[in-house]
Amino acid sequence: MPGLRIECDVLVVGGGMAGATAALAAREGGARVVLASKAPGSTGLSGGAVSVAQDPACMPDTPFAARSGVVESARRIAATRPGHPYRLLRDRLDRLWNAIEFATGQLSAVLAPPTGRNRWILTPFGHAHPAATCHRTMAAGDLAEVRGTLLVCGFEGHLGWDPGLVASGAERVRSLGGPASRHVLLDMFRWEDGALGRPFDLARMLEAPGAAEEAGRVLRRVLARGDAAAVLPPVLGIDPEGRVADRIAAEAGIPVAEFLSDLPSVPGLRLHRAVEARLAAAGVEVLRGEVRAGAGPDLPATVGGREVVARSWVLASGRFVGGGIERRGELREGILGLPVLASEGPFADPSIRFATRPPASLTLRDSRAPQPLLAAGLRVDDALHPLDAEGRVLHPRVFAAGAVVGGHDPASDGTGMGVAMFTGWLAGRSAAGRDA
Amino acid sequence: MAVPVRDRAYDVVVLGGGVNGAGVARDCAMRGLSVLLLEKQDLACGASGASSGMIHGGIRYMTSDRRVTEQASRDAGYIRHIAPHLTFRIPFLLPFATHEEGSRLLDRVTWYATEVYVGTYDLFQPLKGGKPSTRLSAEELYRVEPSLRPGLHGAVTLDEWGIDGQRLCVLNALSAAEHGAEVRTWTEATTLVREGGRVVAVRFRDAVTGEHGEARAGVVVNATGGWSPRFGRANGIQVPMRPGKGVHLSLDRRHGNYGIICTAVDGRQMFLMPHEMESIIGTTDDDFFGDPDDLDATADEVEYLIDGAASLVPSVRDARITRAWWGVRTTLFEYGVEEDDLSRDHRIYDHAGEGSAGLLSFVGGKLASFRAQSEELTDRVVAMLGRAVLPCRTHEVPLPGGDEVPSPRELAARHGVPEAVAARIVFRHGSLAREVLRIADDDPRMKLVVCRDEGILAAEVAWIARHEKVRRLQDLRRRCRLALGGCGGLDCARPAAQIAARELGWDADRLRAELSDLLEVGWRERRPVLDGWQLAEEELLRAVHRGLGGL
Repeated sequence: MPGLRIECDVLVVGGGMAGATAALAAREGGARVVLASKAPGSTGLSGGAVSVAQDPACMPDTPFAARSGVVESARRIAATRPGHPYRLLRDRLDRLWNAIEFATGQLSAVLAPPTGRNRWILTPFGHAHPAATCHRTMAAGDLAEVRGTLLVCGFEGHLGWDPGLVASGAERVRSLGGPASRHVLLDMFRWEDGALGRPFDLARMLEAPGAAEEAGRVLRRVLARGDAAAVLPPVLGIDPEGRVADRIAAEAGIPVAEFLSDLPSVPGLRLHRAVEARLAAAGVEVLRGEVRAGAGPDLPATVGGREVVARSWVLASGRFVGGGIERRGELREGILGLPVLASEGPFADPSIRFATRPPASLTLRDSRAPQPLLAAGLRVDDALHPLDAEGRVLHPRVFAAGAVVGGHDPASDGTGMGVAMFTGWLAGRSAAGRDA
Repeated sequence: MAVPVRDRAYDVVVLGGGVNGAGVARDCAMRGLSVLLLEKQDLACGASGASSGMIHGGIRYMTSDRRVTEQASRDAGYIRHIAPHLTFRIPFLLPFATHEEGSRLLDRVTWYATEVYVGTYDLFQPLKGGKPSTRLSAEELYRVEPSLRPGLHGAVTLDEWGIDGQRLCVLNALSAAEHGAEVRTWTEATTLVREGGRVVAVRFRDAVTGEHGEARAGVVVNATGGWSPRFGRANGIQVPMRPGKGVHLSLDRRHGNYGIICTAVDGRQMFLMPHEMESIIGTTDDDFFGDPDDLDATADEVEYLIDGAASLVPSVRDARITRAWWGVRTTLFEYGVEEDDLSRDHRIYDHAGEGSAGLLSFVGGKLASFRAQSEELTDRVVAMLGRAVLPCRTHEVPLPGGDEVPSPRELAARHGVPEAVAARIVFRHGSLAREVLRIADDDPRMKLVVCRDEGILAAEVAWIARHEKVRRLQDLRRRCRLALGGCGGLDCARPAAQIAARELGWDADRLRAELSDLLEVGWRERRPVLDGWQLAEEELLRAVHRGLGGL
């Protein structure tokens, strides 16, 4: 079917944060870019934070103001974590900030501009989470910035969130420079379909005409002297154009923010949609479906029934959720059949082959510890070329980005989005033949 | 903080909240004795909570221990009577893997012997309300279970009863409490107090509050199961047994509607069976002399089970295995015998000869016979106390909620909850499902479905927290399977913890500690089986609980 064949400069496999950043970075240089996306992955399930790095050396009682900035924190991770992608790319970490600014700038419809230091955002679990940036709808809840009392809100009649638990996260970091807090229940979703609504139902209810204004009036009624900002459950609209948070804030007369989301995640879907919209606007051709029969650059691959021939490939297929790395008795990369050679801790040593070892021997009993099995992925060189079992570059025009690259366990080191944006940006530029 | 609690005297102090301990406590309390039950963790934390979930008659033991089979079959019938809501039929297939029927004399003998064997078991079936066996041709076999590997030549069927073994244990303890027993979970018996060759009291420590106490006892019953050797060593008594470790695997869904009896690589019989919302592969049986508090499933145990099941149902290799779980069963001591050949009979040891008169230890037995075992033990207790008591009625008085099984459809319609959820609540609570759903009538937000995997309603979490001796969040694993299903607690652990915290007055720090503890237990069960799509689930669980929750 020659008429259906697409020839392009760059094929990006994966439509999450790493793939999108790579595609947009390549596109910026004028390259013709095709992006293959089979389904929303980790980015579409993310909770609203853009976690890049937190200082591994600082003490739990170090005040917010005394903590090192995001790039400096990444440097410290590079110095202390042998298998981490930041370590591998340590000579190029001066470009980390360019990558973060580029990616957040491309997605500025949803993401707030980063400031260089971590914001501290509350989570539903009563925890304050450090992130280089977050959704625009969350920025006003940065614990390091709120001056006055933070009002933590739940919904009367809804058991999904416990504002007392959420607020305890603020209390726990108050001595670090966080605000005082108090918590209330807003009488908003008391009627039955609201009380039983799941996050997406509530988000849609709030997008209905007049609903945000009504919510703002409810919020205004519970405000007290000294309240400086209000945080609400992360259901303030799926569509950024709906401006639900702004409308509530305008009516209530106080800055309004969401706290972070667990699953199911409204902010995750919001970010996913923003990514898709930005890719379309930038002229990236998005093909839906799995990549089959792909052997690499200059050879035809099939993506959702279309044949694609690309000069360069960026593999940004994610880890286990994305499907880039899989384990069926043995760890492997699914699209190009690459070996899984990188992990963390004792398995950061490239001479140790662990792909066939049983899962229990690739995990530690303490779930809080970084887990080598969950950090498993491709081994790459400092130009992000995947390496084969002999340590050789697979192909000079194949690059890897994001969670498919091994060596970091994002859940325990909080660098997932940072690695996605940094490696995506570098890989996208390299794939387009630009100076990275 | 060692705060002494009041010293009280009881007729009986029962050590161990497994099904035997809870069963004895219930029987003693129903006969009018004053009872204290001490359990160092939660009810059903040991072998009772890690059983295969069957009250089977024990066809395996029929030739060696016919009495065991008869007692188990009879008592399975009683359990069906006192807890009808908690049991369900599991039809088993025993496929013939031999060559074409009649092609060789040996094959014909095998067929014949199996039919005689199962046919003999049929004689016990009426005792437990089971159906007689049937013979299936190859064509019939593949029609009922297409996932079986090709080349089988037929099967015989075998009817057994499945049960939620954890709730069976919990219901016994709740019934004991209703009849006046004091049930203390998360309270460890630390020392036996002796006076003149008699055990006269038990010292204990509450692991949640740190309180210490002493309970004086007429008779002490040691039903600590796999913990007996350790308890014995600490108190200078011998409790002879051969502890054996048994491991099961859970699949994320029902892999079929029939239990399949298969043969493991070493020739042992094992099974793959649908059970509640999942399928279970079991069981290993290996001598275990380690610390029962420090167990893990090993890679070879997991492989052994998967290989055995895949020998007849190859598709289990592609199934998502959600967790491995384990327990230490106690079997009667015998030297030089293979684990499988050890008797499943039980024995009661009187420690009078060891300077510990007034102390009985229970060893061995089967889940299906727990009630009869408890009755026998209670008879011994009564004889030692030398008191006139009421007769045993544990076989005829229903367990809580066991008096009637309401229709889920009617309940769903009346209370406005999904029928699938109502069905799970009826399964777990029997007639008390009405009380559970009444909570939701009074407070509509309690209709929130907390877990769609296990059909857990907010109202059920509240009911359990109020009425079912919950002291820690992980106790809900054994009350309503919280975080046990394919979800691993992904989006239900936090809401359930919030509801429990409200009912039990936990502050935010306690709530987070309880959540951490619950999730840690789940992690230990998933570690040995992380493969395929379960790894994606694990990535999400870690992102949410470790990453976002900071737990």
